[in-house]
Amino acid sequence: MLTMIAEQIVNGIVSGSVYAIVAVGMTMIFGVLRAINFAHGEYYMLGTFGAWFAIEYLELPYPVAIVIGVAATAVIAVVVGQFVMQRIVGAPPETGVLATLGIALVLQNTVILVFGGGYKFFSGGYIEPVSIFGFTLAEQRVLIIIVCMLVFVGLELMVTYSRFGKAMRAVSQNIECCAVVGIDVPQVALRTFILGACLAALSGVLTAPVNVSVYGGMGEIITFKTLPVIIMGGLGNVRGTFFAAMILGIAESLVATYVGLQFRDTVGFATLMLVLMWRPHGLFSMQARF
Amino acid sequence: MTHTLDRRAFCIAMGLIGLRAASTDARAEDGTIRLGIVAPMSGPNSRYGSFSLRGAQLAAKEINDAGGIGGRKITIISGDSQGTPVEGVSATRRLIDLDKADFIIGDVSSSVTLALQPVVEDAGVLLLNAASSNPKITYGAGAGGFKWTFRNYPTDENRALVVIQYAAEKKGFTKFAVLSVDTDYGRAAVEFTKKYLPRFKGQILTEDYYKEGEVDFRSVLAKIRDSGAQAIIMYGLADTTPIVARQMIEVGVAGKIPLIGNAEFNTESTIKAAPKALEGAIEAAAWLPAWDSPKSKAFVEKFKAEYHGEMPNNHAYVHWETVRLLAKAIEAAGSGDRAKVRDALSKIKYDSAMGEVTFDDHNQARLPMILLEIEGGKPVIKGAYSAEIDYPR
Repeated sequence: MLTMIAEQIVNGIVSGSVYAIVAVGMTMIFGVLRAINFAHGEYYMLGTFGAWFAIEYLELPYPVAIVIGVAATAVIAVVVGQFVMQRIVGAPPETGVLATLGIALVLQNTVILVFGGGYKFFSGGYIEPVSIFGFTLAEQRVLIIIVCMLVFVGLELMVTYSRFGKAMRAVSQNIECCAVVGIDVPQVALRTFILGACLAALSGVLTAPVNVSVYGGMGEIITFKTLPVIIMGGLGNVRGTFFAAMILGIAESLVATYVGLQFRDTVGFATLMLVLMWRPHGLFSMQARF
Repeated sequence: MTHTLDRRAFCIAMGLIGLRAASTDARAEDGTIRLGIVAPMSGPNSRYGSFSLRGAQLAAKEINDAGGIGGRKITIISGDSQGTPVEGVSATRRLIDLDKADFIIGDVSSSVTLALQPVVEDAGVLLLNAASSNPKITYGAGAGGFKWTFRNYPTDENRALVVIQYAAEKKGFTKFAVLSVDTDYGRAAVEFTKKYLPRFKGQILTEDYYKEGEVDFRSVLAKIRDSGAQAIIMYGLADTTPIVARQMIEVGVAGKIPLIGNAEFNTESTIKAAPKALEGAIEAAAWLPAWDSPKSKAFVEKFKAEYHGEMPNNHAYVHWETVRLLAKAIEAAGSGDRAKVRDALSKIKYDSAMGEVTFDDHNQARLPMILLEIEGGKPVIKGAYSAEIDYPR
């Protein structure tokens, strides 16, 4: 019985890691641009498509495909960031919502137009199961957990010590003062956006081997699953997002096992409702930052 | 002094021009038989939609190349239902009102077809369903209400019985776990299975339904692994099966607990994705390429030749067959008049690749289900079973 629960918790940590990497990008983008990036899941999808394309058509090995997937998304993120995201800084919140929703639709349907609406099969990745503490996991999942840890440690260091990280924190606190001090706000916004999109793409590429299916609409559910995570963690709060993602992943896993698989998605939205009602600034933030 | 066009006048003028341009009557002018194909061309079921459309187009091409029906060619117009009832109704409305389709073949998903029935009934357009298996569709057709709906596909009632009978009698399974798709199709098939389970002393230990688009089955599979179930009853989507199969290997149930039911277990690429997980899978399908009849084999070859060597699936076949069935009915009716074609269809005796097709008083075609088992990575046909449907009074 105990091993059953432990196994489900391990499953939960795996899905939590996926959510965490995606969510931290979205929360950073919110922190700096004050816009909820409704197109965030699409970058996850683009990363996966980039890697799939590299494996299917360019016949490159999986590690190279990871790089290509992320790079392709970065290129698109530069374009989108330059023309759309930079203009959202300092604009009313509705602008961000509409703009990112529009981008989501454009990206989704462009991919469907180019590659067709059918599901594609992702054939790369390390799917051999490996046994850890008595649990069998595909090697890929262990990789996801390790990458998640590295990403968060890296982000923590960057945000605390690096110049860019400090600039990010400054922009998220007060834009006018940044201009006074000499921080190039549009540049910081652009770079944060690209970083966030690349993290989403990285998550997509890493999960593709175990999720197997690649299709144009796959980003939508990611965006919706990530919203509860970032709100639970506190908008703009990187550490909080990590814990929120883990909690959500584990909760989903336990609900899927003991209540029923059809209720998995309700966990995220039920949590969202509860958090918004009782602690709208997030479980891990002391007060509302915005 | 230059006169500038008043903005209002300009808008009204553009509107009138636009209206005139859009109202060109697309019908009778070209004399073709306009056939709308409603199928999921995008979304989780898009694989089925793609095959359905291509099967239909192949049949139309064959008929047109042979001179058409009484000299009239068939025009196929595609509508995208995206696998949801809302979009399906919208696509059908567009086909009827704008594209002036006289006949509609659609949809694949039972949920969508059920939503289309009142729409076509209202418009007096013939709906020939080629791929939905929920029995409710024909419980409510013909003598049951919707006179304009016909179905040329066997139902899940037959399917569920055939699968569970084989599993219990030939394999000796009594304990089952359910993992089906959360739609009218998945749930109804399981309901029918439950109806026949007591007959074979079977019991369901766990019951789970997955949303279309779900990708994480580890928790459920671990639960099934530890429950002591001997087989997993899966009525689901073709694209999800490889994911489940892969995760079955991960969790350790592959090769120990077979899948039974229907989710395109017999497709080569699915088996290749995880051969160990699909070994011993039992499926009841309306058709598969290995079916040994001259017409069926000829169809497979024609499809491969037309579409760059790709193997047709069940949906390609049934749509191909149904277009031909419709053509025969139009021929028998001697005209493209919808009511006459409908009447000809109810009396027809059509020679299909699966045997002779006739419709009962609920506009349901009498067709068998093929039972197959995956042995050594290949589907082996174990037999074809028919059943007379017991309609609720």
